[in-house]
Amino acid sequence: MTGTAYSFAWAAVWQGLPYLLEGAGLTILISLASMALALAVGTLMAALSQAPGRVLPRLVRAYVEVFRNTPLLIQIFIVYFGLPQIGLKLSPFSSGMWALVLYTAAYNTEILRAGLEAVPKGQHEAVRSTGLTEFQAMRYVIVPQALRISLPALGNNLVSLMKNSSLVSVIGMVELMFVANDISFNNFRSFEIYGAAAVLYVALVLLLTRALHVTERRLALAR
Amino acid sequence: MSWSVVTENLPYLLRGTVSTVAIAAGVVVVGTAGGVVVGLLRFVPGRVLAAAVGWVVEVVRAVPLLLLIFFIFFGLPAIGLKIPTFPAAVLAMSLWMTVNTAEVVRGGIQSIPHGQLEAARSTGLSGLQAMRYVIFPQAVRRMIPPFVGLCTILVKDTSLAAIIGVFELTRAAQETIERTFRSFEIYLAAAAIYFAICFPLTQLAQRAEARLQRP
Repeated sequence: MTGTAYSFAWAAVWQGLPYLLEGAGLTILISLASMALALAVGTLMAALSQAPGRVLPRLVRAYVEVFRNTPLLIQIFIVYFGLPQIGLKLSPFSSGMWALVLYTAAYNTEILRAGLEAVPKGQHEAVRSTGLTEFQAMRYVIVPQALRISLPALGNNLVSLMKNSSLVSVIGMVELMFVANDISFNNFRSFEIYGAAAVLYVALVLLLTRALHVTERRLALAR
Repeated sequence: MSWSVVTENLPYLLRGTVSTVAIAAGVVVVGTAGGVVVGLLRFVPGRVLAAAVGWVVEVVRAVPLLLLIFFIFFGLPAIGLKIPTFPAAVLAMSLWMTVNTAEVVRGGIQSIPHGQLEAARSTGLSGLQAMRYVIFPQAVRRMIPPFVGLCTILVKDTSLAAIIGVFELTRAAQETIERTFRSFEIYLAAAAIYFAICFPLTQLAQRAEARLQRP
């Protein structure tokens, strides 16, 4: 064999590329699906944080603080290894999804709550005085503005989610990080394979960041 | 569920906690020093260096920390650079902390109105002096809330070192579970300890942010 170690190394990346791209595709799908669910949970929680009385807002506060101030990895372990002990056994896929959604939703809740509170209170009263119901006022006037205010922070949270989704590889959920581990533990070309995975993550994150910038600019208020 | 397993193993978990805090503190020191230098490099005269540094920061920030750890621990030995678990994890986290702190530094400096620099220069200060005595001291105040937030994320992310076998709180929890088979209680206890460290930091960041909003 006359080929240098280097040429062999590139062949390893080349061979693994279709599998790595599949992993990257799964990372995109998992991130988008988790974000969609985390937006639903976050919106509900943010609405509850504005509820009258003290109990609901405090419960929302507790949820946000507990999930933001503990490691995602521990949350994943509690769902996947801890819950079966109390009789709730979930597959690696559902465990990973649940953990990612609840963790991301805690940040979304905080972002959306801040967005809601950033809309001037006077608007709420003004809209109600035009005869719209409470629900209509929220639906047509307050929430659209709150979403626009929250958009940059939500976008950053999506970028974090995409990187954080690498952690679910630890419990065997298949995505880009899992694929990189799988290939490099088999062909021992860890330098090239992890390097290739890093390039793919950078491409995903930079593409997403650019797409978010364009969206933000489109939605920005005309000044 | 039995909670006695938690009290019995608490000393071991606390040993892990000491290690977690020590790792995080070390990484904060290295990462802050590195981050301030790298962040300031983006404001040196001449576009090429600043742009190159900007690109490196953006690229490294886009790589998940877990992948940085695996690249250093599993990837570098493949080209003959063997690094043991502990320094590999600390190196990866310091790199992560450096680029993220650099971004905080950049944001803080850019938030100071450009007129301040011009005014400082017009009094006869050099570019370096203007940065040292006028811009940076003001920018530091604005860097504090995001920097404390970064430290909170770092404390949580030190848990990733457990995956390559570094002894800290998460690893201590895993070892305890291997002995006791009580994963639910032990992981909850570990989560509670992380919370006890991170919650005050989050509150501190919020208070610093609120103070900044006041004129």
